[in-house]
Amino acid sequence: MSILHIKDLHLGFKTLTGHVDVLHGIDLDIAAGEKVALVGESGSGKSVTARIVLGLLQETRTARISGTVQFDGQDINAMSARDRAGLRGTEMSMIFQDPTSALNPMFTIGNQFTEVLRRRDPKLSKAASHARATTLLDEVAIPDPARVLGAYPFQLSGGMNQRVMIAMALANTPKLLLADEPGTALDVSVQAQTLTLIRDLVEQNGTSVLFISHNLGVVREFADRVYVIYRGNIVEDGPTDALFANPQHAYTRALMSAVPRITGAGLPEVPEVSDDFLAPRISHGGAL
Amino acid sequence: MSGILRLLLNRLGISLIVLVGVSMLIFAIARIIPGDPARIALGPNANAEQIASLRAEMHLDASLPVQYGHFVADVLRGDLGMSLYTNRPVTQDIAQFLPATLELVFLAGFIMVAFGLPLGILAARHRGRWQDHLVRVIALLTVSAPGFVWAVILMLLFAFYLPLFPIAGRISDIYDIERTTGFLTIDTLLVGNWAAFGSAVHHLILPAIALSLSGIGQAARLTRANMVETYEKPYIEMAQAYGFFPSRIARSYAFKPSLIPSLTIIGLDFAAMLGNAFLVEAVFAWPGLSRYGVAVILRKDLNAIMGTVLIIAITFLIVNIIVDLMIAFLNPRIRYSTRGAS
Repeated sequence: MSILHIKDLHLGFKTLTGHVDVLHGIDLDIAAGEKVALVGESGSGKSVTARIVLGLLQETRTARISGTVQFDGQDINAMSARDRAGLRGTEMSMIFQDPTSALNPMFTIGNQFTEVLRRRDPKLSKAASHARATTLLDEVAIPDPARVLGAYPFQLSGGMNQRVMIAMALANTPKLLLADEPGTALDVSVQAQTLTLIRDLVEQNGTSVLFISHNLGVVREFADRVYVIYRGNIVEDGPTDALFANPQHAYTRALMSAVPRITGAGLPEVPEVSDDFLAPRISHGGAL
Repeated sequence: MSGILRLLLNRLGISLIVLVGVSMLIFAIARIIPGDPARIALGPNANAEQIASLRAEMHLDASLPVQYGHFVADVLRGDLGMSLYTNRPVTQDIAQFLPATLELVFLAGFIMVAFGLPLGILAARHRGRWQDHLVRVIALLTVSAPGFVWAVILMLLFAFYLPLFPIAGRISDIYDIERTTGFLTIDTLLVGNWAAFGSAVHHLILPAIALSLSGIGQAARLTRANMVETYEKPYIEMAQAYGFFPSRIARSYAFKPSLIPSLTIIGLDFAAMLGNAFLVEAVFAWPGLSRYGVAVILRKDLNAIMGTVLIIAITFLIVNIIVDLMIAFLNPRIRYSTRGAS
């Protein structure tokens, strides 16, 4: 069965001058243990989709959300705010773009780790959480966990903070991991390590992933299936291999041609808007 | 040398320079304003010889730099001269009046922090909702009227129409407490007189609230503004994404990083209460240093003016140093600055 089932999801924001529509009926499914990527340019609606799944946007009073977002059989939109908060940090968790700014500068890593672990087990003692955190940091190949737990985020490198965040995100063995352009703020080699690490861990735990990115190269390496989103619509979707072998939609092709080549053919021209981009959705199948 | 110790020495050095500057400035101003201090001191019936001899005694005939030199030498010996107004050494006057003011200012500062910060946190947590609007209206109200206006209003409401509190003074006349520290709340406890302690606290409440109200508004607005900014930070979204309780996010994750920029201003507000206390003390007939300061300025009592200003400047600087140290202690970046990144 699917862990995440999104059907006809609409999102709009009430503004001073009227109403802005951001998502125009998104359909998306993630099976248990499946790694799914949502690819699109900035402002295409990929990050807000993740925030709706987490139940964060539902707390914003200007947001108007309709449609179905079923997580593990329960409709997130129909839940109370308290129940939604109950799922966060336990059944689903998130990895952020810039690990160093996503960790609170006023608290030690150990302190923040304890808070995360107590989401699952509120009565966890300091010593027990320290022991558990040490094990988890060990799993993400952090050399000296005790020192890292006593450190503040600004004392660690970006790559180190990234590993800490991955360990935190998977600490409570969530069913779904949302990864919002993880490592984009880091340099390329660290980013690659990060992705390998996430892939290994989620495969080991059987965690489903919704991977949000604008980087097709990364997506190709990481995801089982891909959804391409453009201006609040899914324009193409399918198994990664099928979609990359035979991109059908004009926007997907433009996006693929926009990946800079190491051979140095210069940056390709991608039009801001094209009528072709608004063509209807193309599906290569592969979803449950 | 640890970072904190270096910071402390640095701030002490700067404070000393500021103090010298302040003393020169007030010294010059006090001598530029018209009127002969010796003539004022001796009164209308004094003859020319008496005035001349007092002028000589006060070094008033020497040049300004020489006069300043005399002044500094005296201060270093702990001698602030005689007050022409009370006819006592200025140090003795200050020792008597300063504790009364500090007692008032400390309580007012405590009230400011104890109410201002939580109100700010509440407003920031519910930003854009009715709690926020309510706090902002209250804050604006308290900020826009000066302390002495609140003093009069509070006195009318809670001492006159609704006599819950005494109208004036520091303690009821029926108690005769031995002055050890000059702080009545401490002295009454030292002699173990609980009733007198109660009376001293009772007398403190209204003037302290009057003095603190604009500070409460200021602290609340500042805390709210800084926290609203912090709420936009990725680490707050992260805390929300992990389902931490909103109250916990507000009190801990959002408040702590916001406290540092607020603290500098709150420290200054606290020190500024010494000055604001002038009129509040006048309204409540509070025998403090501020009231003494007004009296001696009106009488052009040079030594007393210099002494009062010097003490207020020193208090200001001490508060600033304490605030700087608190910030250093709260901010791990400063606390560990000497350890370096690892």
